[in-house]
Amino acid sequence: MTVATTWKQKLAGHIREDWAREIDIFETQIELRKKGKVEEKLFAETRLRRGTYGQRYDNGQRHDGEKTQTLPYPSGELTKGPVTMWDAPGMQRIKIPYGKLSADQLDTLSELAEEYSDQILHITTRQDIQLHFIHIEDTPDIMRRLSAAGITTREACGNTVRNVTACPYAGVCNTESFDVIPYANALAFFLLGHPDTQDFGRKFKVAFSGCKDEPCGLTNFHDAGAIAKTRVVNGELKRGFEYYVGGGLGAVPYPAALFDEFLPEEELFPITQAVCRVFARLGERENRARARLKFVVKKLGIEEFKRLVLEERAKLRPDERWTSFLKDLHVTDEKPLKPASELVPGNYPQGFEAWRKTNVQAQSQKGYSTAKVTLPLGDFTPAQGRLMADLARRYTGDSMRLTVEQNMLYRWVANADLPAFYQELAKVGLAAAGADHITDVTSCPGTDTCKLGISSSRGLATELHKRLTVIADQLDPAAQSLHIKCSGCSNSCGQHHVADLGFLGVSRNVNGRRVPHFQLVIGGQYRNNAGSYGLAIGAIPSKRVPEAVKTLTDRFVAEKQDGETFQAFVGRIGKKEIRKLVDQLSVIPSYEQDPSFYSDWGDPREYTIGDLGVGECAGEVVPLVQVGLADSERELFEAQLLMDEGSSDRASARAFSAMVLAAQALTREKNSFLGEGVDEIVSEFRAHYYDTKLFFDPFSGGKFAHYFFRAYEHRSDAASKDSAHQLIEEAQLFVEAAHQCYTRIAGALP
Amino acid sequence: MLSERLQLKLYLESSEHFELEALIPVFHRFIRDQVIKDLLIDVVDYSHVPDGPGIVLIGHAADYYVGVLDGQYGLVYSRKRGGPGPAQRLEDALRRLVNAARLLEQENGVKLRFKSNELSLRLTDRLHAPNDDATFAATQAEVEALFGRVYGGVAIERLPASKEPLSLRLKAASSPSLEALLEKLGGPPEAAS
Repeated sequence: MTVATTWKQKLAGHIREDWAREIDIFETQIELRKKGKVEEKLFAETRLRRGTYGQRYDNGQRHDGEKTQTLPYPSGELTKGPVTMWDAPGMQRIKIPYGKLSADQLDTLSELAEEYSDQILHITTRQDIQLHFIHIEDTPDIMRRLSAAGITTREACGNTVRNVTACPYAGVCNTESFDVIPYANALAFFLLGHPDTQDFGRKFKVAFSGCKDEPCGLTNFHDAGAIAKTRVVNGELKRGFEYYVGGGLGAVPYPAALFDEFLPEEELFPITQAVCRVFARLGERENRARARLKFVVKKLGIEEFKRLVLEERAKLRPDERWTSFLKDLHVTDEKPLKPASELVPGNYPQGFEAWRKTNVQAQSQKGYSTAKVTLPLGDFTPAQGRLMADLARRYTGDSMRLTVEQNMLYRWVANADLPAFYQELAKVGLAAAGADHITDVTSCPGTDTCKLGISSSRGLATELHKRLTVIADQLDPAAQSLHIKCSGCSNSCGQHHVADLGFLGVSRNVNGRRVPHFQLVIGGQYRNNAGSYGLAIGAIPSKRVPEAVKTLTDRFVAEKQDGETFQAFVGRIGKKEIRKLVDQLSVIPSYEQDPSFYSDWGDPREYTIGDLGVGECAGEVVPLVQVGLADSERELFEAQLLMDEGSSDRASARAFSAMVLAAQALTREKNSFLGEGVDEIVSEFRAHYYDTKLFFDPFSGGKFAHYFFRAYEHRSDAASKDSAHQLIEEAQLFVEAAHQCYTRIAGALP
Repeated sequence: MLSERLQLKLYLESSEHFELEALIPVFHRFIRDQVIKDLLIDVVDYSHVPDGPGIVLIGHAADYYVGVLDGQYGLVYSRKRGGPGPAQRLEDALRRLVNAARLLEQENGVKLRFKSNELSLRLTDRLHAPNDDATFAATQAEVEALFGRVYGGVAIERLPASKEPLSLRLKAASSPSLEALLEKLGGPPEAAS
C-alpha cells in the first residue's frame, strides 16, 4: 500500500470531482503567482473568491507603539495582492450555509484550527467560520479537507453571492410560517458558481426568515431577504415569501425595499436569478463604495427596479432546478436521536436554572428544546469543537447551527436530557448563561486582525463581557435583555446599527494625541428582522464606554415605563438627554495624568504616536480645525433631533451644513482666507483635499468626499425621512473622515 | 521527527497570583525589542475563551501561547512551518521553548515559574504524524534519546483521545534550572527559519 504524502493523495476519491478540480486549479495559481506568472490583482481576486483574505499587517509594516517596523517576511517582495506580502498570515473564511454543521464537519474544522491556525475557531455574524493567521500555501490543503467533509469555501468572499443565512430555529420554531431551510439550502447551491452570479461589481447577501417579527433572519439588511408566508389561494394553502431587496449595512445602512408581498415558492429562484442579472448589469463597477445592490435600488426606485427584474425574469430560460427541490421539501428534515420527553422536576445542577432561562427554548415539537452554547466573541478551541460535535452525536442526532450572535445552537435536545446536557457543557466551561443577552456582546474582528479596523471592537466587547458578567445576576431583567454590538469601523460587520447599544470604532485627536473612541449608536431595532437602524449620538473615549453602558442601563432601569423597550425609552427621553451623557464622558485626563486612555482595550501600545511638538504655526491651526470639527458634530447631532421631530427637510439641511463646517475647518488650514460661502468651500475643499487625494482614506479612497459633493449637488432637493436618515449617516462618515484627515496632516498618524 | 508541526509545552508551577492579561504588554515588548529572535508579528488576547490558548504571541514560523488548552496552565511553543530537518526538530523546539520560558520568568510583572521537568508534546500534523502506534513508537524513541541526554531520562505517557493529535505527557528524570537546561541545549537560539 502506498502511503499518502500529500492531502491531495490521501483524499483522492473523497472529494466531489468539480470541487477537487477547483482546488487543484487554485493550487496551480499559487505556484504561478510565486513564479510571477499571474498578475497580483488577478491573484488577489482569485484567492478572495475562495475565501482567502488578507489580515492586519499584511503590508509588511507594523507599528510597535513607538515606531513602524518592517516585518521581514522570508519571501521578500513576493505579494499575494496589491501591498499584501506573500508570507503575511491571512484569514480563511469558511461559508457554512445557514450555519448548519454536522458533527463530522465540526471535527474537521477543529482539526484545521489545530494544525493551521491559532487554536481558535471564530463564528462570524453571518454564520461563517473564520480561521486566522493562515499561510496562503496551506489553503489548498485546508480546502481539500473541508471539501472531503462537504464544505466549500468557494465564493466566501469576493464579488459573489456570500453565505446564505437563515434563522437557526427554522424547522423547530414556534412562530415560523414554515421551515425555510429546504429553500435556503437549494438556493445556496443553485447560486453557487451560477453564471449569472460571476460578474458582480460587489458582494450579494441573501437571508431567510421563517417569520416577520423576530430578529433571527435579519432580512432587512440583506441584498435579498425572504420571509416565509402562506396564503390561501382558491381554497388551497400556498407557500411563498415576502421578498425584499436592496438592504444593507456598511458605511451607510439602507433598509430593504419590499419587492413582492407574496412571491410564490416556485418563483423564488427565477426572481432571485433575475435580480442577480439586473445587479450584474446595472451595478456600479468603478466606485466600490456605491456598488452594492442597495444603490441600484435606491437610484432606480423599487418600482422601476422591479419592472427591470420582471422583464429579465421573462427572458430567462427555464431551469428545472427552480422547482425540482419542491418535490421533496423534507430532504433537509432532521431526525431527533432521542424520543420526546419532559424535564423531570428535581435537584438540578448548580447554575442549570439560570442557563435554562436564557439559553433554552421550547421547540414547536413537544418534548424537545433548543439549547444555545454561549461562546464569548464567537471563539472556541478545537477541543471544545470536538466536545460539541460529540454532544451532537450523543444527544441530538448531528444537528447544530452557528448563529449570527456568534453562538452555537443545538436543536432536538429531549427535555429530560437538558440537565445532563448542561453538565457536559459545564465540565469544559461552556455552560455560561446569558445567550443573546447583555453579557453576550457581539463583535467584528476589529483591530485584532482586520485591515480596516480603527478601534478594538473585540477588546471593548471582551471588557464589557467581563464586567457585565460579574453583575449579570443583579441586573434588572429589562437590562439583561439588551443587545450590545460593536464594530471596529464603519463597515459595520459587528451590526452595531441594530443593537440597543451599538458602538462604532472611530479615533479622535485629543491634545495632539490620537485617542481610540467609539461612537454610541442607539435607536436600532433588532426585532422585526432588524426593523430599523440606530444613529450615532456622539463619540466616547474607548476607556469610558463601560461607564456609558452602566449609566445608560441604570437610567433605563430606573426610568422605564411598564413594558417600554429601550428603543422606546430613548425616543421618550430624547437624544438630547443621551447626548448630555456623551458630553460628560468625552473628557479624558491628560496623557501625563493617565496614559491608559491613549491606548486601546487589550492593546497596551500607544494609540497616538508621532512627535507632535510642532511649531507655532501648527499650534495655532490645530485648535481651529478642532473647533470647526466640533461644530460640525454639534450640527450633525441637531440634524438627528430635527429628524426625530419629523422635520426631514431641516434635518437634511443641517446634515449638509455639518459637512460644510467640517470641510471648511479642514480647508482653512490650506487657505486661511476662506470665506463662508458654500460654493467657495466646496470648490476649495475639492482643490486642496480631493484633487490632491489628501482627504483619501487608504482603504476607501475618495468615497467620503463623494458623499459631500453629492450632498452639495442635491442640497435643494426635497427630503424624505429615509433620505434624511441616509444623509445624516453620510455626513457622519464625512465628519469622521475629516477627523482622520486632520490627524494625518497633523502628523499624528503612523 | 516526521511532523514539521509540533507543540511542546512547559507547565506552570502554579497559576495562583497570575494574571493572564499581564502578558499582553510583555509580548508586545518582545516584538518591539526583538527579545525572541524569531519573526514575530502580533499578540492576540483569547483570555475570554474558557480553557483557551490564553495570550498568543504570533510568529511567522512559530507561535508562543500562555494559556490552558489541555486543562493546565503553561507555555506552548507551536512550530508551524520551516525549521531544521527532522532529526533536529524536537531539540530545536525544546531549546526555543526553554528560552522563552526563561525570558518570561525574568519578567517581574507576570510572576511566572515553570516546572522544568513537566512537559507535553503534540504532533499537529495528521498527515505525516497520524495518531497511531507507528508514530508513537518513532516519537517515543526520539523523545527518549533527547531527554536522556538533556535530563537523564523521561517517563512518557500517551494520552488516549483518538481524535486529538498524538499527545504525550513527559515527566523528565531531573529538574534542572531553565538556565542550565538552555545551556545543555546550546544556549539561546538564533532566529527561526
